[in-house]
Amino acid sequence: MSPTPEEHPNKAAFLLRVRSALGRTEPIVHMPDHPSLKSNAMRQQEKVRTVVARNEARRSSTLDRLARTAAAASWNVRRAGDTEEAASIIAEIAQQSGVKSLVRSAEDVFKRVNVDTALRSVGVSPAILASGRSRSRGALRDMAFRADMGVTGVSYAIAETASCAVTPRRGVARLASLAPPRLVLLIEPDQVLETLDDFFAITRLNRMQARGRTTNYFNFISGPSRTADIEQTLTIGVHGPGEVHMVILG
Amino acid sequence: MARRRGSPAYSRRSSGRPRTGGRQRGQQSPKFRAAFCATCLVDQFYPEVGVAAVKVLRRLGVDVSFPEDQTCCGQIAFNGGFRSHAADIAKHFLDVFENEEQVVVPSGSCASMIKVYYRELFEDDPETLERAQAVSEKTRELSDYIVNVVGTSDVGAASEGLVTYHDACHLLRELRIKEAPRDLIGSVRGVELQEMEDSDACCGFGGLFSVKFPEISTAILDEKLKTIAESGAGAVVANDCGCLMHIRGAMERRGMNVRAMHLAELLAGDGTDG
Amino acid sequence: MAEVKSAEFKKASGKALRDEKLQHSLEHVMEHFVGARANVIENDFGDEPWEAMRTRAAAIKQSTLEHLDYYLDMVDKSVRRNGGHVYFADDAAQANAIVLDIAKRNGVKTVIKSKSMVSEEMGINHVLEREGIEPVETDLGEYIIQLAGETPFHIIAPAMHKTRGEVSTLFQEWLKTAPTQDIKRLCVYARDALREKFAIADMGISGANFVVAETGTVCLVTNEGNGRMTTSAPRVHVVLAGMEKIVPAIEDLALFLRLLPRSATGQRITSYNTFVGGPRAPSDEDGPEEFHLILVDNGRLNLLRDEVLREALRCIRCGACLNHCPVYRKVGGHAYGWVYSGPIGAIVTPPMTNMKVARDLPYASTLCGTCKDVCPVKIDIPRLLLHLRHKVAEGVIGERSTTWMERLFVGQWHGAMRSRKALEGKANLGKLLTRPFTRGGKVRKLPFAPMVSGWTASRDFPAPAPKSFARLWREELAHDNGTEQR
Repeated sequence: MSPTPEEHPNKAAFLLRVRSALGRTEPIVHMPDHPSLKSNAMRQQEKVRTVVARNEARRSSTLDRLARTAAAASWNVRRAGDTEEAASIIAEIAQQSGVKSLVRSAEDVFKRVNVDTALRSVGVSPAILASGRSRSRGALRDMAFRADMGVTGVSYAIAETASCAVTPRRGVARLASLAPPRLVLLIEPDQVLETLDDFFAITRLNRMQARGRTTNYFNFISGPSRTADIEQTLTIGVHGPGEVHMVILG
Repeated sequence: MARRRGSPAYSRRSSGRPRTGGRQRGQQSPKFRAAFCATCLVDQFYPEVGVAAVKVLRRLGVDVSFPEDQTCCGQIAFNGGFRSHAADIAKHFLDVFENEEQVVVPSGSCASMIKVYYRELFEDDPETLERAQAVSEKTRELSDYIVNVVGTSDVGAASEGLVTYHDACHLLRELRIKEAPRDLIGSVRGVELQEMEDSDACCGFGGLFSVKFPEISTAILDEKLKTIAESGAGAVVANDCGCLMHIRGAMERRGMNVRAMHLAELLAGDGTDG
Repeated sequence: MAEVKSAEFKKASGKALRDEKLQHSLEHVMEHFVGARANVIENDFGDEPWEAMRTRAAAIKQSTLEHLDYYLDMVDKSVRRNGGHVYFADDAAQANAIVLDIAKRNGVKTVIKSKSMVSEEMGINHVLEREGIEPVETDLGEYIIQLAGETPFHIIAPAMHKTRGEVSTLFQEWLKTAPTQDIKRLCVYARDALREKFAIADMGISGANFVVAETGTVCLVTNEGNGRMTTSAPRVHVVLAGMEKIVPAIEDLALFLRLLPRSATGQRITSYNTFVGGPRAPSDEDGPEEFHLILVDNGRLNLLRDEVLREALRCIRCGACLNHCPVYRKVGGHAYGWVYSGPIGAIVTPPMTNMKVARDLPYASTLCGTCKDVCPVKIDIPRLLLHLRHKVAEGVIGERSTTWMERLFVGQWHGAMRSRKALEGKANLGKLLTRPFTRGGKVRKLPFAPMVSGWTASRDFPAPAPKSFARLWREELAHDNGTEQR
């Protein structure tokens, strides 16, 4: 691990100016009173326990809500009864879109949902988008840009906003869910949360509990890439995928 | 100076008419007593609005007085950034009105100057701030006073035709008065309120703004005139002579066949003037 | 720093008013934004009512500003703990130098940029170009105005003043594409051109919608995906953030991510939110190896220092005050002459740039108050404008900047309003002076008073009433016994 970067030489003087603009001469020693900073790791854990319990209790209605909000946000939503059905839905989507080259990430969910076999059965051979030993940064980028479709799992899906939290890590490239013009996200029932608040409460706890450096990066994907920059006319699919599918297990 | 403070020379004497009540009550001491603040615009340009307001208030049995040393609330200088000038005139306002029971103003922007912005103006002058706060509490805009103090929306007025209402910005967004004027219009016999599109959109007056940036001001006004015309109303009613001066000035220049009138003028009508 | 042309406000706004095409797009786009916002707020709030959310957001931002030195320190420590570099830049020049230094150290040839208003303040594109580094805007609207050599017309719709025809012409010239009237086609042209840049760029520069102090997380809010691209494809990622962009904790984002898109575009949430707090982890498949966060002052201290203006730093740049402002809706963004336009631009431009040059801006408002009502962080914009006018008119922070005519007028007004006696004296004089220009109770033209002649160019001015209300009261009303019988 590389050492912690050094402090910028202008920092002290900069903070001093800020402080004096605020009419203070001394730095603040105690953390200002702020509700969302207050809980320590233990209390945050308690909070998250409640959040998780509530979400478990309301799972089925939350899944319905997610399907509703996602459809309203231009997702193509499909619900699968079991892992086999999920795999065949994904294959069906690829086939219907005439996909030739498909990249997927390597989350655990794909150990349970055998998409590769289903895809091969419709003549699409998926490639895992990972740098590995043989692939340079440029090669990975080229591969992602050339693909017709990306298939990945999610960390969480938030029913309130139809947002899928995608967290890149080993086996999950950033570009897999970004570069190809079509995207399929596979969601498992225990990944679904009711609200943004739930998600951020969990995220805060994860950060508090992480030892050393964790991933510094995640995204919400809440619909197709869109712009209205020309004459306020909505156009789908600019830099990111224009066609987005959500396959919900359960 | 000493004489003007408290204004005994003018206001006491001039408002000292027989203190008999309104016709509905016919009591010796009226239930409501209010000092009328005409505002500088009404005083100098639209005295008929003041006459109408007094007529309506008296019809409701309000004992109206007019502290005669009054001039202006100071808003025009305050809005221009000239706070020391504004403070001077605002202090004069306090001198004139602070001994009154209640102050009634036929203007949303003057009322909000007194009720909202005097706090700002005197924030570094605690003594005056306290006086300002006291006056602010007893100051009411005309429609608010009638509906929420006197407690009626029917002032016994009659007129005829379709009328549309323009929400003056400060009345609506500083004082949050939206329903009172509409209720009053709605109770005028023979009159129907026809809402215009975006009645809460600014007319582009903005006091100093209208002379500093006449082109922009006029362009904003154009939109207002369009919605007034589209409403099909024969008259546009507002509670602020600033807006009215602006709207009327352009309608007359363009020969638009719509009357711009103050709410008080509509309410003063008894059906005899057509 | 970007040039400040705010002294030209009056001239530029006149030009905008006479541009029919521009008036048409302004009306169209503003109506769209206003309608979409109203719709989402009316039909789609969750457990917490809109007003409560605004109040809470205002309090969080205000408290963060009151403790800004503390939170800046917290950001610095968090980001460095994540392996990112943090810089503190006093002004645009310092910030530009820092970016340039990073670029040179990394041998950067091409920079892709996701939208950043701070980078507009800095004028970074020119600085990079001068050094032979190609900056490419990747937000479609920003890309269009970059090709056109212009500045953003609107905070969130930078190219809203361009028609499809104009965009097509620009693309023909710069991208050698075929002419088209098809907006979808135009988007594809841009996508393809920018894909090439994404593939070769060595550095990504983004702004920051929020910077979370506790975790050192920068949050980007986008719809196109360019923000993700900028933070994924290149080897180096630089974030430019105004120092006021901080929220204390990551859980605060739930609130702000509800407020911002609803206020800006009327969306429940934008298509993408990117959260980045440092370089890629060693185990990550891709992503930048270097992460640099530059926290920029560039005049913000002038707002922070002033207890009234301080709250302007709560702004989350949603653009709602622009969309609802009767003045912005007529004159558009360029008239304001700097990076920020509309009501919030009229507030931040003078203190951040030059009070004298931008002295007209605080006056470029009717004070109608709509901006205050729609602001998601409850900035009392009219109050702040009035505060600035005070500074301009009474020279609170330097010389007086009003015209002699305005001062003369206020002097005369003050003389008249000191007492009833003085008022009646002056009023008689006024009647005398306006009489020659009065026809039928209207003044149609007042040639000797430039201030008033602006009014009379398009509107009649009422002639002073023959008898003031006070006189009518004295002569008639006071003697009426107060009872009216008809």
